Amino acid sequence: MAQSSGKTTLTGWLFTGPALMLLTFFMVYPILSSLWMSLQVGKGMNFSFGGFANMWRLTQDAVFQKALLNTLTLLVVQVPIMIALAMLLAVALNDPSLKGRALFRTAIFLPCVTSLVAYSVLFKSMFAYDGVVNRFLEALHILDQPIPWLSDTFWAKVLIILAITWRWTGYNMIFFLAALQNIEPSIYEAARIDGIPRWAQFQKITLPALIPVVLFTTVTSTIGTLQLFDEVNNITLGGPANATMTLSLYIYQLSFKFMPSFGYAATVSYVIVVLVMILSFFQFVAARDRRRP
Amino acid sequence: MTGLKLSNVRKTYGVLEVIKDVSLEVKPKEFVVFVGPSGCGKSTLLRMIAGLEKITAGDLEIGGKRMNEVEPSKRGIAMVFQSYALYPHLTVRENMGFALRFAGVPKNEIIKQVDAAAQTLELGALMDRRPGELSGGQRQRVAIGRAIVRKPEVFLFDEPLSNLDAELRVHMRIELARLHKSLAATVIYVTHDQVEAMTLADKIVVMRNGLISQVGSPLDVYDNPDNMFVAGFIGSPKINFIKGVVDGVSKSGLTVVLPGYQDAKVTFATKNSSVPVGDSVTVGLRPQHFNTTGKMKFKLNVELVEHLGGESFVYAGNGSGDLITVATQEGRGLKSGQKFDAHIDPAKALLFDANGQRVR
Amino acid sequence: MVYTLLSIAAFVSVFPFLWLIVGATNISSDILSGKTTPGHALFDNIVKLTQQVDLVQLFYNSTKIAVISTILTLIVASLAGYGFEIFKSKFSERVFAGLLAMLSVPFAALMIPLFVTMAQLHLINTHTAVILPTVASIFVIFYFRQASKSFPMELRDAARVDGLREWQIFLFVYMPVMRSTYAAATIITFMASWNNYLWPLIVLQTNEMKTITLAVASLLSAYVPDYGVVMVATTLATLPTLLIFFILQRQFVQGLLGSLK
Repeated sequence: MAQSSGKTTLTGWLFTGPALMLLTFFMVYPILSSLWMSLQVGKGMNFSFGGFANMWRLTQDAVFQKALLNTLTLLVVQVPIMIALAMLLAVALNDPSLKGRALFRTAIFLPCVTSLVAYSVLFKSMFAYDGVVNRFLEALHILDQPIPWLSDTFWAKVLIILAITWRWTGYNMIFFLAALQNIEPSIYEAARIDGIPRWAQFQKITLPALIPVVLFTTVTSTIGTLQLFDEVNNITLGGPANATMTLSLYIYQLSFKFMPSFGYAATVSYVIVVLVMILSFFQFVAARDRRRP
Repeated sequence: MTGLKLSNVRKTYGVLEVIKDVSLEVKPKEFVVFVGPSGCGKSTLLRMIAGLEKITAGDLEIGGKRMNEVEPSKRGIAMVFQSYALYPHLTVRENMGFALRFAGVPKNEIIKQVDAAAQTLELGALMDRRPGELSGGQRQRVAIGRAIVRKPEVFLFDEPLSNLDAELRVHMRIELARLHKSLAATVIYVTHDQVEAMTLADKIVVMRNGLISQVGSPLDVYDNPDNMFVAGFIGSPKINFIKGVVDGVSKSGLTVVLPGYQDAKVTFATKNSSVPVGDSVTVGLRPQHFNTTGKMKFKLNVELVEHLGGESFVYAGNGSGDLITVATQEGRGLKSGQKFDAHIDPAKALLFDANGQRVR
Repeated sequence: MVYTLLSIAAFVSVFPFLWLIVGATNISSDILSGKTTPGHALFDNIVKLTQQVDLVQLFYNSTKIAVISTILTLIVASLAGYGFEIFKSKFSERVFAGLLAMLSVPFAALMIPLFVTMAQLHLINTHTAVILPTVASIFVIFYFRQASKSFPMELRDAARVDGLREWQIFLFVYMPVMRSTYAAATIITFMASWNNYLWPLIVLQTNEMKTITLAVASLLSAYVPDYGVVMVATTLATLPTLLIFFILQRQFVQGLLGSLK
């Protein structure tokens, strides 16, 4: 039972104080500041108030629209594939009679140890035109000619999807595994004694336990994808022909690559904020609905 | 040695009042047990004495000094917690000396006091282990040792035995009683177990819904409960409550009939005239008080018998569905379905009015 | 069936690591043409790498940034997580909810004002600029708050009866009791800092200040990257995190899961 007298409350703020001060300075202030900036126009450090000029510019900006479309495409295609794969692998790994379970788990989990830059190096080199992946696929007679992963607008997107999936599936799988291991084994024993068939056990016991994890991993993955930067900057540089341009990469390029255009870049960044807010709202609604009986 | 006094003490959380108005005096060297069902406020009251919860209103005096605003460590108390709350990263020795270390006691003095306490509790061999390596009973002893080292004037125990298995609980109960004698200290002890309360206490404080229901010696609250709650809470197996109606009022007392048991009419010698004829009342009969000779007679059929070896608990009814519990030494031959007459001395019966208050 | 699936998944997961190590021993053109057997260029690659970058400086910078930011983050975040859990009030719960809402604000939305602020403070191209914004990590605060729920309240009570002040309870009871939480948080914070790319890329401008992760990226972004050299650099950059993972796998996984509970 916590006390809520004035003295203990003050003590509490002394504990949270350092973090709150830092967050005010490095989080709250930048959020508000970039909102203000998004109303400014101009290059470099010369700003002037532009009202909604930047928002108008968004509607005229083909690169922005492409980046937005790319980000959403990646999201819609990649996230479900990865979540499904993570769940499948977790269910497969959860079987206690499986031999080499720990080994498989470690192996599948390994990719998320690498930095995003490091695995970009690996994917860029493996997916070269004459690279090991094309060679391998040709040897298996899946391909009769190499795929231009890095220079074709379609395949470049596929490459980015493959890369993200490789890096994050094992990470998400860990959450599913944890949820599976939290299910009381005696529930399955009771189901077996009651003669419940295996598919029904999965449907009625396993799946409900995994739904919160699906929600959690979907939201974190989506937020991650919305911020996608390291991979595209290092593997494809947003190319070819902006086919893998993402919002974060575009903001970076607008701000730090050419003549900086902070006001407009801030406007683009608020597009991500709005997307995340919409998403968080859906998550909130979903979580609330789930709590209802 | 030091006593303790609570005057009109209250505790509220927002609109919720958990301690309503408690006044109590604890004499020096007394072993006082707060007992009651969970949620009755007994632990909160203890924590208020310890200084872990603020006192919303009223006064707390320890040794004659008002302690409401004093830090826990400066109240001259030590506390033994339900989960023992031993510091898991410290050895037994360090655990026992922890408070002294922060009180600025010199190292050699700490060693002396810790060793003395360890000897009292026979902890010598465990001093360099960590709590994780100890059994439940050992941890319990270390927790008590930690309290003893501080040489408190008042020991506070919060359900200290509830995490132990039955056998160890009995053993520790005896050790605690011995320890109280040898330390000659004031003890306030919280439990929901009425057996612990009966066996350990000099004075039992029965609590219910944030109020004190009754204060008295163990035998006093057992023999002479103030209300149905206390009568029902103290005593095992639980007292039998039988609905009755006042049949007549005379100079010699109240006559009560018990519907369904026509041979069990009983007259209570009371001068209390607040209960008129026709009022419903409740008669309390302890299972242990039944015999074969008493004047009140219950014609019953045995439903179930529990044989404990020495004695047997007979659950018997008159067909209405209500069962009466009878504890008897001679129940070995009884089987369910059998006829069974239970007798009791009317002087042992307790009478309660419609509000559950004792009619004396 | 299950074994086939898991074997393919395990192979796909592990192959790039083998590829990395084999690649470090090959010349660039062999790597790009998919050579999967070890070559003899390892020594050459290492020599070329040391000619292009100052490895000692890079490792020093990465380690310095990661160690300082981990220590600061752990102190600040554990204080806050403990504070939010132990000294709950209606208002503090609202503040905490506000923090959680900010957890999903993308870094891209912060980086421009942060950059401008750092420029105003004359901190561009300093390690301080890299470290400061990462210290109050909402994720780690959240992690410590969740973990603090398992910190026994009776232990706090016992410490209060034993006469400890609030800061002493934190320092002498909470911190040692929550060792494994600190261990897990150390790993995730250290790795996040070691692998951080976008923010250091923005604020660190000269080669003497850069981290190993930035160096790998800049080697890769050369007009014609020498993959043999890049592979050696990547191997070196990945080695510390890989070692930490294998030694402390349990705490690592626990650290990740901390955010879900």
